[in-house]
Amino acid sequence: MTDTWLVRNMRAIKARAYSRVVGANREPSWVLFDVSLPLLSVAAYAYIYKYMDAPEEFVGFVILGGAMTAFWLNVLWSMASQLYWEKETGNLSLFLIAPISRMSILAGMAVGGMFATTVRAVSTMVIGILVFGVAFSLSDPLMLALVFIVTLIALYGMGMMFASLYLIFGREAYHVSSLMTEPIYLVSGFYFPVKQLGFWTAMGASVIPITLGLDALRQLFFPSSGGLYGFASVTNELLILVALCVVFLILSKFSLDYMERLGKTSGRLTLRWQ
Amino acid sequence: MAVMSNLRTFKNAAWLGWQMEANWTDPFLFAVYSVVKPIAGTLILVFMYLVITGGETNTLYFSFMYVGNAFYMYVADVLFGMTWVIHDDREHYMTLKQVYIAPINFQYYILGRAAIKIVITSFGVILTLLFGVLVLGVDITLSSVNWTILILGLVSGLVCISVMGLALGGITFLTAKHAMGINEGVAGVFYVLSGVVFPITILPGWAQGVSKALPVTYWMETVRRGLMPEVMSGLPGGTGLEGFGNIEMMLALLLSAVLFMFLSEGIFRYADRIARRKGKIDWTSAY
Amino acid sequence: MDYAVETRQLTRVFNPKSKKEGKSVKALDSVDLKIERGELFGLLGPNGAGKTTLLKILSTLLLPTTGKAFVSGFDVEKEFVEIRKRINMVSGGEISGYGLLTVRENLWMFSQFYGIKSSVAHERIDKMLDQFGLVDKKNEKVRALSTGQRQKMNVIRGFVTNPEIIFLDEPTLGLDVNASRIIRDFIVDWVREDKGKRTVLLTTHYMAEADQLCDKIAIIDDGRILACDSPENLKKLVKMNSTLKLDVNLLNDISGFGSLQGVENFAAHDDPERNVTTLRFILKDESAVSEIMSLILSQGSKIMTVQKTEPTLEDVFVKMVGKGFD
Repeated sequence: MTDTWLVRNMRAIKARAYSRVVGANREPSWVLFDVSLPLLSVAAYAYIYKYMDAPEEFVGFVILGGAMTAFWLNVLWSMASQLYWEKETGNLSLFLIAPISRMSILAGMAVGGMFATTVRAVSTMVIGILVFGVAFSLSDPLMLALVFIVTLIALYGMGMMFASLYLIFGREAYHVSSLMTEPIYLVSGFYFPVKQLGFWTAMGASVIPITLGLDALRQLFFPSSGGLYGFASVTNELLILVALCVVFLILSKFSLDYMERLGKTSGRLTLRWQ
Repeated sequence: MAVMSNLRTFKNAAWLGWQMEANWTDPFLFAVYSVVKPIAGTLILVFMYLVITGGETNTLYFSFMYVGNAFYMYVADVLFGMTWVIHDDREHYMTLKQVYIAPINFQYYILGRAAIKIVITSFGVILTLLFGVLVLGVDITLSSVNWTILILGLVSGLVCISVMGLALGGITFLTAKHAMGINEGVAGVFYVLSGVVFPITILPGWAQGVSKALPVTYWMETVRRGLMPEVMSGLPGGTGLEGFGNIEMMLALLLSAVLFMFLSEGIFRYADRIARRKGKIDWTSAY
Repeated sequence: MDYAVETRQLTRVFNPKSKKEGKSVKALDSVDLKIERGELFGLLGPNGAGKTTLLKILSTLLLPTTGKAFVSGFDVEKEFVEIRKRINMVSGGEISGYGLLTVRENLWMFSQFYGIKSSVAHERIDKMLDQFGLVDKKNEKVRALSTGQRQKMNVIRGFVTNPEIIFLDEPTLGLDVNASRIIRDFIVDWVREDKGKRTVLLTTHYMAEADQLCDKIAIIDDGRILACDSPENLKKLVKMNSTLKLDVNLLNDISGFGSLQGVENFAAHDDPERNVTTLRFILKDESAVSEIMSLILSQGSKIMTVQKTEPTLEDVFVKMVGKGFD
């Protein structure tokens, strides 16, 4: 091999992403589900707030939270636990004997799933805004984009860390993912400002990148609510998110290496039907 | 003979379903998981409520919302469970074709797998209700419970949901792996339109019309009337179904169950035939 | 010497998660193996012998419990990154791949993990698809392939990266005669194409496959290497000569057979009712067969049946372990 480590891993990311994109396009029924389904839970929570005569921006918070669940679910089910499916279908061992970083495989999955995820998120936002007539501010698009991108990088880094669990566990890790889905909605403030959970709970939840990411996006989309509902200033939240990016990417590398070694020692690395 | 065979299939499928649900960890951890998961799911609504009301849970609406959400677990878990059987057996364990060609009634196999989901979910529902009553002040008193309405309503509703799940299971034969969203979609429609966490009166007029055509709407109303009749009669603004008496509610529910039984059977058979024609019984759709 | 694969007292024990799951299993027990570069090396053993476990260690999917293993001079435990650049693996009965992708797409995707340029990958893929008779399937979705076609695709996946060392774990398992033959022929040609640089470690429990393909064979059972040598030398370990049995028309004179070179011993039995003489020869040397035939024919007799037995690898195994293959 005359190619460099970087070129090889970039090719791996591209290849794994390709299979995701192509696969999705060959079974386009996902469009229907990914556009309509998130809207249902958004609608339910929006109507709960309407019934309780909550301030209008809470409906907006629900729409935003609903859109961001697309990314959280992509991390949890299309990236982290994907290793579980790869193991069960026999692909994992082929990935593991290839001379590429495990993070490249996961990054490829994430990148490949990004299109469908983005469709889901954008459609949730757009339809939610149209149906419920909520006004979102776009006064600082640069900051919005920056917060969004940094949040995703940190979130996907965390997802890679979770993925390492699947190198050694099977259904246990799958059920942990299942267990984590809704509590994360709760503590990360997907449907209400995380500040309402109290300072220390919000602080603890800030370890999950989407908590601060959502909070910052809420403040940017609804500038008038920032003081009342924001946990920290947008700038501070962005800085913390940058730090989380670095931390999670490093941790995920160590975690993947460690779990792989543990799996190889115990013989469970490619053991199916655990 | 056929009845015994179907019962045996049902029983074996239920045993398999239990193994799939429970044998991934030791009993203690499974018990913890079974307790934490349903309660964690409910807490989102609880906190959403607390954020707006400033901490007061001793209201009729809170009880309405909490109980509805607890029983909704049946809808989500059973619909998911029945579609997941097809998906899991076909794509993951690749055993679907072996079961399919066995001399059994395949629908009873799916129902058996779903039955164990109902049992497990029942524990979750009971725990959630207990948590609600003991910790959050949900207004349920045993002396006020109308057991007849509750039990009859619960059972007919579960039958109805199960046969709907059967139809969805049939449709799953024809769809790719990412279309597990089918069950999510149908369950989501019920969540929004069936008065699960808010009375249907808050919905636009046309949506209320749709709500009144859904069996889950009557199911929700029935079990709530059975479990907490005073809350239901006192809810400000009503639930949108005050015009229906208990007997009418039960009849509406039973009628829906029967109707869906025929509809689901038809959908399942049709989907099954198409799947066989297109060779989708044992296809994989991973990417 | 620079070996392609070397193991030193390699041992692997699997411990259960709990007592309920049974006892510890010693899958490999002090395995010492040396495979030279350019060798087509076979690992022959029954089910559960430890073949797949050994391959998993060598392909860096599993760590040894004790002992050492080296692939292309690199330690499997510490230098696995270097090993992965030089190897690939194909297993029999593989279900890997993505059902929604075409054959070509699947092969291309896996080739990219080895850093092969797309154009080069496509060229190799097309060539190999042609060699395996899968050209007309290249745009078919993987889920539409038959078992044999899928396995051929898997074999292509393993070879398309042009590894220095390839591990083949029962690659013809469950395939029909034709598909198996194509794969075996390909393996032999591939090694010969770049003699001395390409190494194959093949596990199988088909003794004919091992006999046909391999330069050297190790026989493994219960995690231990019982013998390791060329197929011919292994068969010589078993002190069984060839036996030749013929049924011929009634012979008048059998004296000439005993003096034939290569005939260690013989026996004759007449059956006048059937007008048959049954001749049984113990041969030192198979070249005696033609002389035997000539002598029979020179007496005007006709040969009705001929039966020849040779020592097989299973005989070697039976001799060593006292049981046959499952």
